[in-house]
Amino acid sequence: MAATLRDVTTYDLKLAAPLAAGFVLFFVTPLAILLALSFQTDPQGGHYGLTQYVAFLGDSFSLGVLGSTLWLGVKVTVLTLLLGYPVAWLHQRSPGWARGLIMLLVLLPLLTSVVVRTFAWVVILGRQGIVNATLAWLGLIDTPLKLLYTEGGVVVALAQVQMPLMVLPIITALSRIDPNLADASSVLGAGHWRTFRKVILPLSLPGIVAGCLLTYAAAITAFITQSLIGGGQMLFMPMYIYQQASTLQNWPFAAAISIVFLVSVLLVVSIFNALGRLSRGYADA
Amino acid sequence: MLLTRRNLMQTALTLGAMHAFPGLTWAQARPLVFATFTGSWEEAHKAVLVPAFRKAADNANIVLDPMLSVDQIAKVNAAKSNPPIDVMLHDPGPALQAVAQDLVEPYPVEKSAYYRDLIPAAQVPTGPAPFFQVVGITYNPETVKTPPTSWADLWKPEFKGRVGITNLNSTLGTGFMVELAKMHGGSEANIDPAFKAIEALRPSLAAVAANPGQLATLFQQGQIDISPGNFNAIQILKARGVPVEFVIPKEGAIAFKTTIHIVKNSPNKELAFKLIEAALSPEVQATLMEEPYLIVPTNTKVAIKGELAKTLAKDHAEIAKKFVFQDWGKINEQRAAWIERFNREIRV
Repeated sequence: MAATLRDVTTYDLKLAAPLAAGFVLFFVTPLAILLALSFQTDPQGGHYGLTQYVAFLGDSFSLGVLGSTLWLGVKVTVLTLLLGYPVAWLHQRSPGWARGLIMLLVLLPLLTSVVVRTFAWVVILGRQGIVNATLAWLGLIDTPLKLLYTEGGVVVALAQVQMPLMVLPIITALSRIDPNLADASSVLGAGHWRTFRKVILPLSLPGIVAGCLLTYAAAITAFITQSLIGGGQMLFMPMYIYQQASTLQNWPFAAAISIVFLVSVLLVVSIFNALGRLSRGYADA
Repeated sequence: MLLTRRNLMQTALTLGAMHAFPGLTWAQARPLVFATFTGSWEEAHKAVLVPAFRKAADNANIVLDPMLSVDQIAKVNAAKSNPPIDVMLHDPGPALQAVAQDLVEPYPVEKSAYYRDLIPAAQVPTGPAPFFQVVGITYNPETVKTPPTSWADLWKPEFKGRVGITNLNSTLGTGFMVELAKMHGGSEANIDPAFKAIEALRPSLAAVAANPGQLATLFQQGQIDISPGNFNAIQILKARGVPVEFVIPKEGAIAFKTTIHIVKNSPNKELAFKLIEAALSPEVQATLMEEPYLIVPTNTKVAIKGELAKTLAKDHAEIAKKFVFQDWGKINEQRAAWIERFNREIRV
């Protein structure tokens, strides 16, 4: 009799078929073509080999571009975390109406396009921009500082543009923490700082890891912000790929760079994921 | 008729398929597809060239599909035997690439009514040039009191930290480098002097833009006061009230031919020819020369008037004197190496 009962806890995999077909058609196939292309030895095709990879990995300039892109992501992620965590914290501690307001402010940037947000940063960081005008008005500087087309400018702009990706997961993680835990901690004699360090921070770690992952991936691939704020003298991987594929029509090399970039990002992501698993174990303990 | 679920479904699927694959509905007679450039090019072509073409071709259907040169080449290359584009528009670098990749039909010169009237530089058998782009010096008249007269003025100490250039991804950036090389004893084949000159310009550089469009933003924001610039791009900025002026340096303006090509294996060769004829005709070129387009004509039957006569050249003889055309065949040979070198040497 038991065998005829429908098991409602497992779902039919067929339900996922349309999505899976979409993925195969629009994601896996292009990726396979990209991989095949990266093994072509020259743009005209014909011969296959590892030439493009050797050219990239044996070249200190190209490796430098890769390194500076990955490092840029680290800087942006750290800054976003430092600025974003207090916002999420504030959201958690505020009364209902203020929560709505903070949530709106966090989400607001998502409602405008990245191009618009980035252009706003061009205006803010420019020679006659808000920052320079304010500093000059306060008498702190005589000549405008160069903020646009510097790496610092790129980091700040990216941090703002990607902020919601960091704040939202942390808000979710914080809201899952039982408020009684903080009370228990203070009853047991811990101060605010100790409660935060020993209770809240460890429990919010999964949110932090998820936020860092999203911010990192978005920051290193942000072609528009990188090129508009960074300018033509700063070369990061997305621009490097664009230059090879579009201006020079050297598709095999562009494909090889893309694959190398993809693999490096996957490596970084798996490190984050491992940290995430560790942090979950820590949180459950 | 009874509307059953089945035939409702059929109709929906058919309509959906027609929407998803518009090629189905065109069957044999698809409209002429003209890949122009985006922005002011598209506006000008929609307003002037398309009506002239439809008049000449019994109201034949035409679709403008604006995209970058490199995208045009990629799209045609992907479907060589049944290209999705009939007429391509190219800057000199990509034009030679398209010809080299055998994507272009030779222009039927003997059939053309206007080809012979074009200035010699515009008579290209693989695809004539209906327009020019002109690059000179752009400056902000509010901060630069004495108008610059030479490319060498960019190196003047008073412009320290005020100069903008673009990298070599663009035609403008590459053309500027070649001009620099020529000024300092080099050529299309010898770019070394240009890199030395750029190295000397470094303390003056306020910005190396990733594309020419960014230079416009930089002028607007007061980030730069002087840069090489495209005449037509500057006119658009000027019309929006940005304080910019354009001058031709005494070395001459860098001029690029924008060539128009019939795509090989196009099913609409006859219509494509008519469109190109319209683009070469004195009527269309004379209209495009006026405000707000200010496009430099290549047909010698068009008398140069207005803003163009004031800023650029009063007639075609002066154009021949003042415009410097570069050898893009030679440039293309080494452009990849130059971009590579620019990446490495000019990086911050």
